[in-house]
Amino acid sequence: MIPSDWELVQRWREGEVIAFQELVAKYHQKVFMVVLGILNHREDALEIAQETFFRAYKKINEFKGGSTFYTWIYRIAVNLSIDFQRRKRRNPIELRETSAEVIEGEGEMGSDPYRDLQDRELGKRLMEAINDLTPDHKAVIVLRAIEGLSYKDISRILGCSQGTVMSRLHYARKKLQEKLGPFL
Amino acid sequence: MMRNCTTVQRSLGAWLDAELGEAERQEIREHLEKCPSCLAEKRRLERLQSALGEALRARASGIAFEPFWREVQRRISEREIPWHARFWDWVRSILYPQRLAWVVPVAMVFLVGAFSLREFFPGWLSGSQRTARTVVDSIDGHGLNVALFRESESRTTVIWLFEDHEEEDEASGSSTQGNPF
Repeated sequence: MIPSDWELVQRWREGEVIAFQELVAKYHQKVFMVVLGILNHREDALEIAQETFFRAYKKINEFKGGSTFYTWIYRIAVNLSIDFQRRKRRNPIELRETSAEVIEGEGEMGSDPYRDLQDRELGKRLMEAINDLTPDHKAVIVLRAIEGLSYKDISRILGCSQGTVMSRLHYARKKLQEKLGPFL
Repeated sequence: MMRNCTTVQRSLGAWLDAELGEAERQEIREHLEKCPSCLAEKRRLERLQSALGEALRARASGIAFEPFWREVQRRISEREIPWHARFWDWVRSILYPQRLAWVVPVAMVFLVGAFSLREFFPGWLSGSQRTARTVVDSIDGHGLNVALFRESESRTTVIWLFEDHEEEDEASGSSTQGNPF
């Protein structure tokens, strides 16, 4: 039987490092996806995703179980990503990957090459359009798009109301639609 | 209530996310059956949502667990969370937006109350803490008017004596004169 997140957390608190390792294995890809969606830079996203689990390890006693483990870990990841991006904006050296880097590693073409090309072009432009959103709007759109999280969970992760989530999502989608007009 | 296209399109995202109540969902469903423009908007939103998920998933693929875990382990064994990060985490945990909604008015009431205390307890701040004040008193002593002008910061008192010529002035129309001591 697969242990629940809460059981793994309890075992981890009792000093069982393997339980923490199981949680990292379960969530590292998802956390990385969320962070990458906000930062749009693989190296930075990897760094922040690893920092997220390091912080979680050190702060496990603050996790009371009032929310689910994934909301808690996403909250750490989103806060770290937003802080990181604000720091970078104050000290802008290099944040975005080039379009070529974005396309790289996106897998081979499927059975419909024309459709694949169109999708890749859309994907590329989408990532560029997301970059122009504010960190708060990025976080909302990424959490919804990747995980399909409910507005309630997103509001817990971001520490805002469900109404705010709804209006941020509406605004972010409008902005993306405006930028991607002919591709949709 | 019938919805128009503007209100439907504003709620379409929440409708696709299944975040609306049954009544609203039904209204939008009925509107979409009759309105090709809103139906096209719904399809654009669906395409955007699926393209977003695919693009983000495709970019995040290929993260190997072993090197990721080794780096996390290295941090755990070598580092502590810096004090400023712990401080900001603590601030964030106590001052999230919903809490600010009542903390800010409470803080304002507290500040107004604190500033008003001096009005209710004039001797509350004493000695060197007292701020500079200017006081003008007027005394009528045996037909002689005395005006006291006190300025607390420089500890200066000016006594101004003058005779009451009010009745004479009314008769003659001239101004009152006096000599400061």
